[in-house]
Amino acid sequence: MVLAKYIGRKLAWTLVVLVVALMLNFLLPRLIPGNPVDAIVGQIAAGGGTGGEQLEQIHEHFMQEFGLDKPLWQQFLIYIGNLLHGDFGTSFGQYPASVSHLIGQALPWSIAIQLPAIIVGWVVGNMLGALAAFKGGWVDRGAFVGSLFFSSVPPFALAIILLFVVAVQMGILPVGGAYSFGMTPELSVTFFGDAVTYFWLPFWSLVLVFIGGQAVGMRSMAVYELGSDYVNYNRGLGVRDAMTVRYIFRNAMLPQFTGLGLSIAALITGGLIIELVFSYPGLGTLLFNAIGQNDYPVIQAITLLITLAVLIANFTVDVLTGFIDPRIRAAQSGER
Amino acid sequence: MGTLVDARNIRGVYYTGGKDVVAVDDVSVKIEEGEVLGLAGESGSGKTTLGSIISLIARPPLHVEQGSLEIDGKVQELGGDAKVPRTWRGAVVSMLPQGAMNSISPTKRIRHLVYDVMRSHDRKVSKDEALDRARERITTLGLPARVLDAYPHQLSGGMKQRTVTIISTLLNPRLLVADEPTSALDVSSQKILIEMLLEMLEKKIMSGVIFITHDLPVLRTVATNIAVMYEGRVVERGPTERMVDDPQHPYTQALMSSVLAPEPKYRKIRIEGMSSFDRSLFDAPAVIHR
Amino acid sequence: MSLRGLPPRFWVSAALVGFIVLAAVIGPFIVQTDPNATVGGLYDRPRCCGAMLLGTDNEGQSVLANLVYGTRTSLIVGLLAGAIATVIGLLVGLVGGYRGGWIDDVLTAITNVGLAIPAIVVIILVSVSLPKRNIYTLALVIGLTAWFWVARAVRAQSSSVRTREHIDVARLSGAGFWSILARDVLPYLLSYVVMAFVLQVSGAILFESTLSMLGLGPGNATSLGTMLYWAIAWGSVRTGAWWAFVPPTLMLTLIVFALLLLQSSLNEVFNPRLRRGRAARKKAVTPGAPSEAPLVVGEPEPVGAVGMLETPTSTGREQR
Repeated sequence: MVLAKYIGRKLAWTLVVLVVALMLNFLLPRLIPGNPVDAIVGQIAAGGGTGGEQLEQIHEHFMQEFGLDKPLWQQFLIYIGNLLHGDFGTSFGQYPASVSHLIGQALPWSIAIQLPAIIVGWVVGNMLGALAAFKGGWVDRGAFVGSLFFSSVPPFALAIILLFVVAVQMGILPVGGAYSFGMTPELSVTFFGDAVTYFWLPFWSLVLVFIGGQAVGMRSMAVYELGSDYVNYNRGLGVRDAMTVRYIFRNAMLPQFTGLGLSIAALITGGLIIELVFSYPGLGTLLFNAIGQNDYPVIQAITLLITLAVLIANFTVDVLTGFIDPRIRAAQSGER
Repeated sequence: MGTLVDARNIRGVYYTGGKDVVAVDDVSVKIEEGEVLGLAGESGSGKTTLGSIISLIARPPLHVEQGSLEIDGKVQELGGDAKVPRTWRGAVVSMLPQGAMNSISPTKRIRHLVYDVMRSHDRKVSKDEALDRARERITTLGLPARVLDAYPHQLSGGMKQRTVTIISTLLNPRLLVADEPTSALDVSSQKILIEMLLEMLEKKIMSGVIFITHDLPVLRTVATNIAVMYEGRVVERGPTERMVDDPQHPYTQALMSSVLAPEPKYRKIRIEGMSSFDRSLFDAPAVIHR
Repeated sequence: MSLRGLPPRFWVSAALVGFIVLAAVIGPFIVQTDPNATVGGLYDRPRCCGAMLLGTDNEGQSVLANLVYGTRTSLIVGLLAGAIATVIGLLVGLVGGYRGGWIDDVLTAITNVGLAIPAIVVIILVSVSLPKRNIYTLALVIGLTAWFWVARAVRAQSSSVRTREHIDVARLSGAGFWSILARDVLPYLLSYVVMAFVLQVSGAILFESTLSMLGLGPGNATSLGTMLYWAIAWGSVRTGAWWAFVPPTLMLTLIVFALLLLQSSLNEVFNPRLRRGRAARKKAVTPGAPSEAPLVVGEPEPVGAVGMLETPTSTGREQR
């Protein structure tokens, strides 16, 4: 019951943030001076190849889609209403493709890189950090400086170096893209085997950096825990070190877990930029192209997705923390 | 009754990089079967350091340069690189820590710790068996069995300290080293805890206690004998009554006269105080009564 | 704290930061080449000496000249954005934490919402909408979206300082609100603020390069991020023109690494509990003293650890 209340509170909070995020997402692009549709249509016209009548149609289409002739609050409601139907609007850059369609093509690639990278990086990084803290000495120093270095390498910088060394110089893995020319995405062993070779480099670029960050955090948490009273008491009771280590790990892990929620935004961004380096056909590359074409509907959809991913990740972390940390349950009810 | 513990010539030094600090300087302590030895002294006198050496948990930067511990005829070297078997801790000598507040990991239930303590010393013990034994001990000593299922934050201060006391003595250690176990408690909880300790001693759960505190009134109620430490040495030792009524060493006199107790005779004694770093005190001969 | 007491890591990081600042400040005078001047062809190989030391980029400009000017740009954006974020965060945190009440509630709510919405999203949306982007608008946007962290940390600290006795003394002696904040609260947070600033600077430099990579970099200046943007757009990695992308990559990594190292060594200086064996060393000074939390100026604690270890003392009903 206590837990349900806690989760309910977190859910309400997440919804409040979501509404604010939606408003920002809606309002900020509308701050462009002048009528955005005029600007866009002007751009399409400047690109050439589109006739006057067609331009008129495009202009009409977007005016209607955005409801620009209506007051702002109505525009917002239209925006929300469309979102609820899964309708992100129509792309400026690749008119008349729908944004949902473009996103649908790109999203799976981004998830394929980021989800495994985040999980693997978190687990391995924490194990490494804990090891450094327990072993001390040169293991600690080596692991710490190494981790600190990797955690401070911008993910895309590591991606560039890996791409150059492994793919260009050594020629072990393909240089860019997500699958070989002539292949079509399908659920087959051949395709999977081919796609994996393209997957490795962006994956490792993200994982290594994340491992570094987690290891640094875990190490300082564990060093802190090592000096705590319960470790001393366990020792005085002759409890095996292997058992005490598990106590320490559990306690040091909690802030790391919360930290995962906080660092998720940086990770996602890092992952999107890595896609650019490898021309990986995910959201990052889509965003890059959209920015180049001032394709606001696509940009807006992607920023909204990033926000959603971060909010969902944080909510999940909060809920899981509630399950792991007994004090949260107690603190909520005042039960003592 | 015979001698239970004989700690000889203990010297404990903190290696601080620059200057070494001698915290315990060639101290020997004997504890009889069934005795509660009160260890008194001001902060920095070395009593906590001595306690941690005897409870076998000295850790860098504290180094035991010399000393040995004899319990039941078994002699354990403490000095230098001597390895103390892990199973001595908890089973032969156990500790009751200063302030039980953080002594149990906040994310573990009491029963987790109980089981881990038991199986660290007895690989074959099953979970049920371990918990049954613990439950029996807990109810015998008048605590509700449900503390086993609690997380530390769910217990009040007094309750937690009593629970920790029971965990410390689960393995029936010969000696329990209690370091300021009562200092964080209110008076009624102090009383309950002390009664419990004495009851445990009577039941032979442990055979002797070293009770470290700067709280002299508490010491008067619990200790059989009192040893007073000053600047890393035991300056005086004797039966509690005599130590309180007729202290010999000037430092003991100063320490005892600093006590406020609602008893008529104390009204006549003037608090004299002393300069805290009077080296001449240190040169006064140690007065040890047996 | 004597200089000799500083950990070696501090000196390493200070030397690195010094080198970077020198490269940014003096570098342009030594290279003496306009970063926008065409001095060669597409991806000319590096050769001795001067402006051609690192070859040319896709527009035939000197990579070396771009590197030193780019470092300068990145540092300016970082310092500016870091300063903006730190000052705003400090003010919001101080006022909220010290004042308490509804002001605190409102400020905390804003801070929490700001923390929950990814900064990069807001930065992208604003940058896309800006009619003109230069390094100052970029720094402003980054700074305005990054202060929430500082505010939260400072608020936690200042609300704990608020209950200390010397604040009561100051209040009784008739000191004004701002005077108490500046003279009695702020000193306890200074170490924290310094560390937060260092982190903000490195974060802002990363943000700048990320934005530049996405094509949202400053329009009027070369930064390390825009160098990478062009290097990737013009296939320097694929064609093996390493001199076009390795220098900015290494420089960015070096900057962020140096700043993080600086922050972590400062953290150890200010927060001795993180130093191995240090807690025990403190004990050595007063052997046998009951272990108390060390009273460090500002008492910075690793975020999370405080909540972890300081379990509230239960005061409720005893289970008997």
